[in-house]
Amino acid sequence: MTQAAATEHHEPVENTSTGLNSRKLMMWAFLGSDVMFFGAFIATYLVYRGKSLVGPYPSEILDIPLTSVSTFVLLMSSLAMVLGLHYVKEGQKNKGTIWILVVVVLGAIFMGFQFYEFREFAHEGLTPRTNIFGTTFFILTGIHGAHVTIGVAWMAFMAYGSHTGALRKDNALDLEIAGLYWHFVDIVWIVIFTVIYLISATDGPPPGVGPTILH
Amino acid sequence: MANLWQKLTHHDGNGWWNLPHGPSNELNPPHEGPIGGAWFGNLWQTLTHGGVSHAGAGFYWLVGFLLAVVTLLEVWLFTVEGLGGWYIPILLILSVAKFVGVVAYFMHLRFDHRMFTYFFASAMIIGILIFTIILFVAEHAHQKPLF
Amino acid sequence: MTTKSLKFPQAFPRPKSATGIWSWIGTVDHKRIGTMYGIVSFIWFLVGGLEALLMRAQLASAENDLIGPEAFNQLFTMHGTTMVFLVIMPLSAAFFNWLIPLQIGARDVAFPRLNALSFWIFLFGSILINFSWVTGDAPNGGWFGYAPNSGTTFNPGLGMTYWVVGLNVLGVASIAAGLNFIVTILNMRAPGMDMFKIPIFTWMTLITSVLIVLAMPVLAVAGIQLMTDRVYGTHFFNSLGGGDPVMWQHIFWLFGHPEVYILILPAMGIVSEVLPTFARKPLFGYPFVVFAGAVIAFMGWFVWSHHMFTVGLGPAANTAFSISTMLIAVPTGVKIFNWLGTLWGGNIRLNTPMLFSISFIAMFTIGGLSGVMHASPPTDAQQQDTYFIVAHFHYVLVGGALLGIFSGIYFWWPKFTGYFLNEKLGIANWALMMIGFNLQFAPMHWLGMDGMPRRIYTYAENMGWEGSNLAASIGGLILGIGILVFIFNVFYSKMNKVMAGDDPWDGRTLEWATSSPPPVHDFDVIPQVQYRDDFWFKKYPETISEYYHDDHDQAVPSGAQLDDEVEEALPVVSGGSDDHGHGAIHLPDMSYYPFILSVGIAILGAGFITNTYVVGAGVPFILWGLLGWSMEPVNDPE
Repeated sequence: MTQAAATEHHEPVENTSTGLNSRKLMMWAFLGSDVMFFGAFIATYLVYRGKSLVGPYPSEILDIPLTSVSTFVLLMSSLAMVLGLHYVKEGQKNKGTIWILVVVVLGAIFMGFQFYEFREFAHEGLTPRTNIFGTTFFILTGIHGAHVTIGVAWMAFMAYGSHTGALRKDNALDLEIAGLYWHFVDIVWIVIFTVIYLISATDGPPPGVGPTILH
Repeated sequence: MANLWQKLTHHDGNGWWNLPHGPSNELNPPHEGPIGGAWFGNLWQTLTHGGVSHAGAGFYWLVGFLLAVVTLLEVWLFTVEGLGGWYIPILLILSVAKFVGVVAYFMHLRFDHRMFTYFFASAMIIGILIFTIILFVAEHAHQKPLF
Repeated sequence: MTTKSLKFPQAFPRPKSATGIWSWIGTVDHKRIGTMYGIVSFIWFLVGGLEALLMRAQLASAENDLIGPEAFNQLFTMHGTTMVFLVIMPLSAAFFNWLIPLQIGARDVAFPRLNALSFWIFLFGSILINFSWVTGDAPNGGWFGYAPNSGTTFNPGLGMTYWVVGLNVLGVASIAAGLNFIVTILNMRAPGMDMFKIPIFTWMTLITSVLIVLAMPVLAVAGIQLMTDRVYGTHFFNSLGGGDPVMWQHIFWLFGHPEVYILILPAMGIVSEVLPTFARKPLFGYPFVVFAGAVIAFMGWFVWSHHMFTVGLGPAANTAFSISTMLIAVPTGVKIFNWLGTLWGGNIRLNTPMLFSISFIAMFTIGGLSGVMHASPPTDAQQQDTYFIVAHFHYVLVGGALLGIFSGIYFWWPKFTGYFLNEKLGIANWALMMIGFNLQFAPMHWLGMDGMPRRIYTYAENMGWEGSNLAASIGGLILGIGILVFIFNVFYSKMNKVMAGDDPWDGRTLEWATSSPPPVHDFDVIPQVQYRDDFWFKKYPETISEYYHDDHDQAVPSGAQLDDEVEEALPVVSGGSDDHGHGAIHLPDMSYYPFILSVGIAILGAGFITNTYVVGAGVPFILWGLLGWSMEPVNDPE
């Protein structure tokens, strides 16, 4: 690509005191707010880690291979998101629509995994009422799931807009802002996957307590 | 000292904490081309300095690939025996790397105006500090005095 | 390029009229929204005040049986909750709404519809939380809702569920408003108005908004956790299930301490505007006041455990939080000295706003000093949960925040309405409030030192507490009469208007540059700003050289040159929030979607209290509001 093409990509300078778009600025401020929201939930999880009085304990119930796949799916949805934004910004309507649809599909698959996981856990005897691990686990991942659900709905709306031509190169900022939200949901999951799954997956029963699930 | 104070408060009547005002604000130096087709040549530039508002699709594929590799590495580490006390620090470092990768490149913070970084980073800093303190306080609440 | 956009079928035509009920429901005008915030929160102020008076009536004599223990618990819980969340915060929000666009020279906030949404959610949330009075099961777990007392085991009724859901709904409103004002202040400033030229009240609003945006999510987390504990039987704060009630205290005070700065910083901003105006001097050490505010906002995050000194966190934690608490008194003290420095050598006029502001400094200093006293854990162990603490935070919140807000009401009333509040009645109001307030809360210091616990509904005759309690009750009555005088003043001044003109106090900031009350579009011409206190220096160009003499700083134009520059600058009009180019004044059209969305959120909240089907009933409203909003253009095509 040439130098001229480079300048074409420059964002239009907004007519604001900072030259930055107000909605985008607000989205970043909101993400800062959401950092505190998830931060408090994750801190609660960590404070309560290993404090369960009865089973099932994390080592008995967490399914790392399954969650690795769903983590991978969500990560790839972020890639699809950034590609969708790229093509919408380039004005390639069809490619943009397809990639946004990929985001929707991958997000829905992630939700499916989570639904399946919740059902399995409930089946094996772990509910939010069972023990403190169940409480912190379900509420944290459930709140994250609610964020994903909102994101999927938002992206479906964006895909529809891109399909009908209401989302174009000149208002790609709408998609960019939605994308910021989507990526944020992804990075929260990056933290959750590490902290709840990979790090806690070996947390067994306290010493002297036998296994609580007999397979 | 006087100079520093000047910078903090009065430099250009705007101060060190100044916010860019309007069109005069430098957005993206035009001499740094996009990665796009010839992305490899500019890769290092993009990774380290930002400077393009909008990298090419190839670059995003590369970042996505690296993130996938790190994820696989994390899952593989889970199966490795004998990491002992290193397991958690390594995992945390890897997840921070993924976190930064998504925030910097997918969310364009690397290429975007610094103000967005300030917004996000200030929340991250306050959050990490206070929640670390909570963990510390909750962990050490019932132990004997440190001094 | 053809601009195709999505259309959402409109159930009602978009409201257009400037009068009538729909003009209020559909309004996006920051001034109208500010007025509604003011009226609604003042009504809650009267409710909260009535609750306080009932408590004082009960405590006026020993072994009184006017009010039973159960009702007393409900009264102090709802009094605290009302005053913090439904009075001081929204009254500050009323000032934010009215003044921020005027002070920074903008035509509206950055997101007018979001602003309307904030107000409507606040209104419905406040009704939701007070609806518990109607069901006869008002919250009774204290305004901090300590677990496990707030859990279902000890509190099986619906009261605390109302409380926790209501707070979450109110939190949504606060966060939306906070985001809006951050962006407004950063992005909507008049040309030439750098960050170090914005009025100090705007700075304090910015800092408060940042605190709101970062602290309210933490309250939301605490609220969600307590709500799931109560409604779905989780174990966050249930020690039988492995939870820990102390965690509630951590999370609540993690929000709660920034919250007290959310309450006090706007009042500090108001006082920092009133003092320079009535001392006819610029604010002494403007950068110090700004940085002190920012430092308070940052340090405010690291002091929360001083509410928990007696919990038993261990000496290390207590020491660290004691030190950080004592340190945070330093930037607060810096501000007090700045205010004193502003008064020093000034040409002081003692009008009502000034009386309130000076009283603010005195009362806030007393409250601040007693705060430093219990920053020390051994002292706090003695004072925890006694009336000493009650005295402390009422000196800070009534003597601080509320006096600041009254100062602001008297100061900006001419700008809001075009006429003055009566000065004589104002002074009577001030005098009654000061006498009543001090008579009510000063004895509480001694009561607390003497060991009288908080939140008891009665006390024995032989404790020696009767005299002080009676004095406090009489003081409360006098304070209440002071508020009645204020209400009378409002109506009296409306009947006997003394027109104020655009700039009655010889003001310093941009809001005085426009007419009183301001036109819908705020400014006929967006002002060009050159100096801090620009309006003052435009009025008195000869004083510029007194304050700007560094040649590298501001090239000091002579008066004549300044006039030339001003004239040149006048035709330039910034587009403000709308992207419709230069010159034309475009205001965003009215919209009913914020109202619909807030109805949905209120129903959703009510559903968490009652049953899940009601949650489902809220969702269609939310979808309707969101979809309609997102596809509604800011301005309908002409």
